Amino acid sequence: MKRALTLISTLLLVAFMAFGCGGEKKDEKKAEAPKAGIKIGTLSPLTGQYAADGNDIKNGVLAAVEVMNAEMGPLGPVTVQAEDDACDPRQAVAAANKLISEKVTAVVGAYCSSATIPASEPLMAAKILMITPASTNEKVTESGLKYMFRTCGRDDDQSKAAVKFAVEHLKAKTIYLVDDKTTYSQGLADSVEKLAPGAGIKVLGHEHVNQGDKDYSAVLTKVKAAKPDVFYVSLQNSASAAPMLIQVARLGIKTKILAQDAVYHPQLMELAKDAAEGVYLTFGYTDKETPAYKQFYDTYKAKFGEPGAYSAYAYDSALAYLKAVKAAGGTDADKVNAEMRKVDFAGASKQIKYKENGDSGSNYVIQVVKGGKFENFWNPENGQLFSK
Amino acid sequence: MTIRESKKLWLGYGLAMVWFYVLLWPLLGIKPEGLEFASSFAIWAKVAVSAGILLALYQIKRGGWLDFALRPAQALRETAASATAKVPTWIWLVLVAAGALAFPFVTERYAHDVAISVLVYICLGLGLNVVVGMAGLLDLGYIAFYGVGAYTYALLSVHYGLSFWLSLPIAGCFSAIAGCFIGYPTLRMRGDYLAIVTLGFGEIVRIVLNNWMSLTNGPNGILGIQPPGVYWWTDVGFKVIPLTGLEQFYYIILGLAVFTVVAVYRINTSRIGRAFEAVREDQTAAELMGVNTLRIKLLAYAMGAVFGGLAGAFFAARMRFISPESFTFIESAMVLAMVVLGGMGSIPGVILGSLALIALPEVFRGFELYRMLVFGGVMAIMMLVRPKGLWPAKRMGVRSEEKE
Amino acid sequence: MEFFFQQLVNGITLGGVYALVALGYTMVYGIIQLINFAHGEIYAAGGYMGVILISWLVSQGYPPFVCLSVALVLAMGYCALLAMAVEKLAYKPLRNSSRLSVLLSALGMSIFLQNGLMLTQGVYDRAYPGEMVQGGFEIGGAVVSYMQVVIVGITAFLLIALNVLVFKTRIGKAMRATAQDKTMSALVGINSSRIISLTFAIGAGLACAAGIMVGMYYGSVRYDMGFVPGIKAFSAAVLGGIGNITGAMLGGLIIGMIEVFAAGYISSEYKDVFAFIILIAVLYFMPTGIMGENVDDTRV
Repeated sequence: MKRALTLISTLLLVAFMAFGCGGEKKDEKKAEAPKAGIKIGTLSPLTGQYAADGNDIKNGVLAAVEVMNAEMGPLGPVTVQAEDDACDPRQAVAAANKLISEKVTAVVGAYCSSATIPASEPLMAAKILMITPASTNEKVTESGLKYMFRTCGRDDDQSKAAVKFAVEHLKAKTIYLVDDKTTYSQGLADSVEKLAPGAGIKVLGHEHVNQGDKDYSAVLTKVKAAKPDVFYVSLQNSASAAPMLIQVARLGIKTKILAQDAVYHPQLMELAKDAAEGVYLTFGYTDKETPAYKQFYDTYKAKFGEPGAYSAYAYDSALAYLKAVKAAGGTDADKVNAEMRKVDFAGASKQIKYKENGDSGSNYVIQVVKGGKFENFWNPENGQLFSK
Repeated sequence: MTIRESKKLWLGYGLAMVWFYVLLWPLLGIKPEGLEFASSFAIWAKVAVSAGILLALYQIKRGGWLDFALRPAQALRETAASATAKVPTWIWLVLVAAGALAFPFVTERYAHDVAISVLVYICLGLGLNVVVGMAGLLDLGYIAFYGVGAYTYALLSVHYGLSFWLSLPIAGCFSAIAGCFIGYPTLRMRGDYLAIVTLGFGEIVRIVLNNWMSLTNGPNGILGIQPPGVYWWTDVGFKVIPLTGLEQFYYIILGLAVFTVVAVYRINTSRIGRAFEAVREDQTAAELMGVNTLRIKLLAYAMGAVFGGLAGAFFAARMRFISPESFTFIESAMVLAMVVLGGMGSIPGVILGSLALIALPEVFRGFELYRMLVFGGVMAIMMLVRPKGLWPAKRMGVRSEEKE
Repeated sequence: MEFFFQQLVNGITLGGVYALVALGYTMVYGIIQLINFAHGEIYAAGGYMGVILISWLVSQGYPPFVCLSVALVLAMGYCALLAMAVEKLAYKPLRNSSRLSVLLSALGMSIFLQNGLMLTQGVYDRAYPGEMVQGGFEIGGAVVSYMQVVIVGITAFLLIALNVLVFKTRIGKAMRATAQDKTMSALVGINSSRIISLTFAIGAGLACAAGIMVGMYYGSVRYDMGFVPGIKAFSAAVLGGIGNITGAMLGGLIIGMIEVFAAGYISSEYKDVFAFIILIAVLYFMPTGIMGENVDDTRV
């Protein structure tokens, strides 16, 4: 008992030294050189199931910093502190607190809505801007958080685009939905299920699969028996979508497949190969011919390879923040917050302009996989095909 | 160390390194573009050199060439040990208590957050300790009770606006009921059959939480859980003030942890604790001596579950958002790891174990991607170095094997 | 009826894979009473070795059949070496400690290996190069792909080979003897340490084959792919009666079938719940599993 107590007290002492002194040292440093550069945090799953998407986000921010570092002048240099939240609420809060202790002034992240929502609380309280490049859940911006921004679109807009496409272009009468039980994927599928009857589409079934499963044969056999006009696939990422597409092809299901933006990733074609051909998906419209996109693509490709679904959004998020800091002439949260609402520039993904609630608006279009590439296919705005 | 021993040691080292390279190279070196050796060799060389240095140090130490440095250190350690032995236990207790109380004043919020997590897991670890350490029932689904507690408070708070303090005992009760529910079918099973059934129950609870949309809101989780409040004097008279600061959470969970420690200590030294131990050591003999083993096992499950439920309710209040992702199998495994790593059945051991397993991944954040790799390695090594745990429990009485 | 046949085919494929992984759990458990948590990671490593070797062999221009069989053999050898290394490093020094200590060491190794795979292979999924075996046929309205035939065929072959090895050879006899009583078998001249290593190697080889087949079937592998099948296969091993080889095969098939039929006929989101409920129910009435012998009073 006694030795254990000694051990505990020693450990406590060590903890004091590790955390306590660490903090003091940082304070000293800050006193010496106030505002030495800008520190941006990223919060995304760098390990675990969604590590691929998490790394895309981190890399997107790193690419943005590389581009902007030269322009920041006396405010620079910009450094990035990447933290791992593993898509776990507890670790997300721990990582957020770590970032607060590290004195970052803005956080780009998180990926999973279930990490973004709890992590936003300490960040908002510490007056740190949070810009999510990937959490499309409506609740993220609707709970009235002052320093919350979103660069990607919203689930409710995406489902509208999907249903419109199914009705107007695919002339669908029946639909079958599958999701993999995450806030994002289920939210989207539910939303489509709700909208479909109003548009004259009969919902034949709505199935759920578990995250981490690779065998979807049982569910797909049901889909095959139901013979829907459209099969709506709402999965959390491309890695779970690829095996599903392979199995769809193997079972000989000929139905049109409509997916959503999380499925967008170059690795989809790499993994699913021919099975991905002809799959439609809703995705934020990105003009890949603009100089802004080309600059992003060149910077990103050189260092990290092909960009993923959220790389461009993460890049734009960091860009928007740095532009706002430049306009505000410092990192004061309220000033930057005001400037953030004034930014209006052509980003890599779209025209970046934040509304009062922090949303940047959605511009979903339908893309199709053709010849191993994603191509813009149909525009829900005017109901026209994109001309080649 | 004799030459033969030394030869054997280095031969083993050589063999291990060759083996390691054979395992490493295919992972890094075989590519469609062709075979390549440089990248795997670079990593291999680093590992080989550091392992070689460690081995050499070990041999030097065994050879007695470090005695000039180690002897005084040993003497110093002994003096320190005898000096600490003279200090009465209560002084250490006071020191630990003072340290724990003063912790928020000398550290910053990241440390607070880690400390809160550590304390939550201390409660969980001690609760599981009742089941695994004392009663000897391997439980791989313990996190289910944590989940039940968390969801109980979350639902009570969101739907009925019940305060945290009132919900705390209710959460404990619900978890105890869940404990009995899970415990009952497992009573006839032993050892690893028990493990898989508890694992199954843990998964069932998580899947139900994830799918019962109307009750738990599924994967979206529950938002807007009220933080605990206190009735306190303000400018406008007595009013309930919500506690939201990290320091306040720290003190609440500290209180909860102290309660758990005291309760588990009291259980351990009580008649029931002795009965747990009897069931663990020899169920048949215990039954023969008049211990109602079925009731005792159920009691162990229920008691363990209560602490899990309390910790869960706190967790919900602290995060103010819960979703089923927090209650996965890997969490159960982590809590079990804390108990085993610290030393089964030992209260200070479990505290040390929780400290180690929660603080380490945070300390290792500096390693970034290597974080979990290092963590897994350290976990295995700690077990190899101290197979009985960091601070093994003292067994009461003498057992037959020891007498021989 | 079509629907039923199709689900039956699905269930057999899935169950076959579970059975192969479950065998590793059950063999290791039978011989040293350890739940080898790292087994799922060996399965994942097998999947990766398959990708690596097949991609390389294909790039060298060998025909698909040669690629597949050579990769299968080499990868199985690799996994056997890996499992033996894990056994020597993390389990052997703990042979005489409490069983929970070994369990924890196994958990640590599992985390270590999983992250090792992540660091060397990256966080993105790795794709298998093309479909080795394409096409399929229809039987009674159910689509059966040749890939499924290959999986079931290889599984059946490995299971028969294992049965022959364990029940018909001297090594098998030594393995069974060690599993029954380590001390006594050592007394009659069996090198138990070598037998244990061998058991790990064989179990790993089977898991590796399962990993490669799963990788080919679903088109890709990922570093954390071992976790879910690991738990399922462990359940399968227990359902059949842990330590019993025939039981593990049966358990694997049953778990696979339950999952597929529960998803097909009842509810896809609760399919795992059904699998676990049936597991618990079976264990409630047969506390040592379907084929389990009466285990003695083993404590944790």
